[in-house]
Amino acid sequence: MGILKLENVGYRYKDAPKDVYVFKNINYEFEQGKMYAIKGKSGSGKTTLLSLITGLEKCTEGKVLYDGKDLKKRNLDKYRNTDIGIIFQSYNLLPSLTSVENIILSMDVSKVRIKNKKKKAIELMESVGLSKEHIKRKILKLSGGEQQRIAIARSLSYNPKIIIADEPTGNLDKDTENDILNIFEKLAKEENKCIIVVTHSQNVCSRADVVYELKNNKDEK
Amino acid sequence: MYIIKNSLVSIIRNKGRNILIGVIILVIACASTVTLAIRNTANNLVKDYEQSHDIIASISFDRHSLTENFKGGADNQKGNIEAFNNIEYFNLEDVKNYGNSDYLKGYYYMYATSLNSDSLTKATDSYEYEVEDTQTSTTTSSTTTGGSSGMGKGGPGGERHTITNNNTTTVITKSKEVFQSSRNMTGDFEIDGYSSYDAMTNFVGGTYKVVEGEMISDFGNLECVINSELATLNELSVGDTITLKNPNTEVTYDFIVKGIYEDSSNSDDSSKMYSSSANRLITGSGVVEKLVEDDSTLVTNITPSFIIKDEESVNKFTDEVKSKGLNEYYTVNTNLEELQNATKSIENVKTFATTFLIITLIISAIVLFVINMINIRERKYEIGVFRTIGISKFKLTMQFILELLVVAVIMLCIGAVCGTYLSKPVGNMLLQNEIQSSESQEEEISNNFGKRDMKMDYSGTAQIQTIDTIDAVVDFTVIAELLGIGVLLTLISSLASMISIQRFSPLTILKERS
Repeated sequence: MGILKLENVGYRYKDAPKDVYVFKNINYEFEQGKMYAIKGKSGSGKTTLLSLITGLEKCTEGKVLYDGKDLKKRNLDKYRNTDIGIIFQSYNLLPSLTSVENIILSMDVSKVRIKNKKKKAIELMESVGLSKEHIKRKILKLSGGEQQRIAIARSLSYNPKIIIADEPTGNLDKDTENDILNIFEKLAKEENKCIIVVTHSQNVCSRADVVYELKNNKDEK
Repeated sequence: MYIIKNSLVSIIRNKGRNILIGVIILVIACASTVTLAIRNTANNLVKDYEQSHDIIASISFDRHSLTENFKGGADNQKGNIEAFNNIEYFNLEDVKNYGNSDYLKGYYYMYATSLNSDSLTKATDSYEYEVEDTQTSTTTSSTTTGGSSGMGKGGPGGERHTITNNNTTTVITKSKEVFQSSRNMTGDFEIDGYSSYDAMTNFVGGTYKVVEGEMISDFGNLECVINSELATLNELSVGDTITLKNPNTEVTYDFIVKGIYEDSSNSDDSSKMYSSSANRLITGSGVVEKLVEDDSTLVTNITPSFIIKDEESVNKFTDEVKSKGLNEYYTVNTNLEELQNATKSIENVKTFATTFLIITLIISAIVLFVINMINIRERKYEIGVFRTIGISKFKLTMQFILELLVVAVIMLCIGAVCGTYLSKPVGNMLLQNEIQSSESQEEEISNNFGKRDMKMDYSGTAQIQTIDTIDAVVDFTVIAELLGIGVLLTLISSLASMISIQRFSPLTILKERS
């Protein structure tokens, strides 16, 4: 049984006509230890689907089940700071904090019990290919690739079962994209994480174990 | 816990924004401290003043009502005096009855009568003696001779007229009956019996001062304190016994002199040899009650003072006394107006401080609300990130409130220190302006009376010391109120962030950013 399951999920904007859906009847299942890619053209609803999986939006039809339990019945703040790690295309790090402070903040929010949070944060940064000299740097003084690595380290800081990334390599060059994908593969295979990547990159899709495509308001596997 | 950490980090990392908010709060804190300190100190001053200066009601004779009922002309003088004598005077029992009131804190009285003495010499600057005048004449026409045959007390006792016509002598003696008010004290020595030390207002006020011995301690014993002039004239000293007698019954009473007092009230009147209190003996009211018990015809006078609980009780007490039977010729007067005049300036300063405080707070709340609203719009992205990583709306709201609260508390503390130094000079400056304004108004009124060079006591405030300085102090009450204001302002200005955080969708924010 998958860790995350989408059952007949549909979404329609509140102000949209009655029968106009962004997508509907989505039935996806995600398991730990695999990397998934959700692809689709612009406007197909990839980011909307991501927001439903992360609990930032609620589906208008169907259910999103995490560990067998409907997200609507869960505390979504707790779900986001404990069970799922989110990585955005534009990184969404806090510019007023340093790299390490961004990671420690996520640990604080998730209330994860780690004695030395700073040490753990540095270890995570090193695991995503950042050196110690990046520790005290302000976010805006880092490159796009470095920021994305910080975002990955942040999402790993509280050890969630699922990591969902929205176009994580969209702003990065080819080499950096491969580095990031290597990290994702490693996380899936070695740390049994469920990696879901929303993308329109063919390279990302080719590296994924399973690819879902959002097409003409219908899902295809 | 991380909420506090986040707040502190955010304050430190966003110095510019927080310094701007801090400066505004500092100005508010300074102004609030000064106004709160002035308001509270003024309040305490007025309260202390009201506590140390009781509202005293006295019963006074309404001469206006009396003269309205008088009839003109010498023939009606007797009738007028009779009318005066018929006015029902209030006695000790009435005073006790009036004093038994829920509107009073207490009461005291001075019960006075008069006695004579064979052994004491009365201090007086007139000397009375009898003159014998004999005249003899022989004429054919009618002549009239007149002469005094002695003077009675208070006026001539009689006249003798001798009329000689040819060889016939006719002696006509006309005697004059002196008709005087029955209220006049008939004795030479005034016995003032006080019910308590409070009643001895001359001693409390410092007009009289015991210079030898001490004040009587038992208000029912035949003890007295005598005037120093009477003591000198009669070579009396503390411990001596003086014998006084009832002018009606000739019954004698032996008083022990417990003390000798000096009267400074008439020290500037050089027209009199002795002070007006020279023949006044101070004793307890119980003594006078005893004298009246022995002889109820003894003329007495009672001066009660009622200590009224509060302003609201003044009219109620007046009505109650009238309902208890106080004669229409008497009125109840209080020193309320004088007390109010004495604190008028400081009350005005208090009102000004309160109004200023309210206006400052309203403007501050609006300014802070607007700044906070702009601030939140700038921090929209931050809110989106916080919400995405799983910080609840409540905790995020708390963090934003806490940030403002920390800045507010720090600035309130600095403001309180600045305000401490400013409040005293500002308070006194306001009060002096108020007093000057009040004095110029009084001067203007005096000018209307044509008295340009002298200050008129038209409002009767001379007896009561006015408050002319205010030592505005920043105490715990001010600090507590200031903190309350800080919390209130923080909450009001944080409303913007509270509403925004509830309304903002993190996904929308992040999409906008992207």
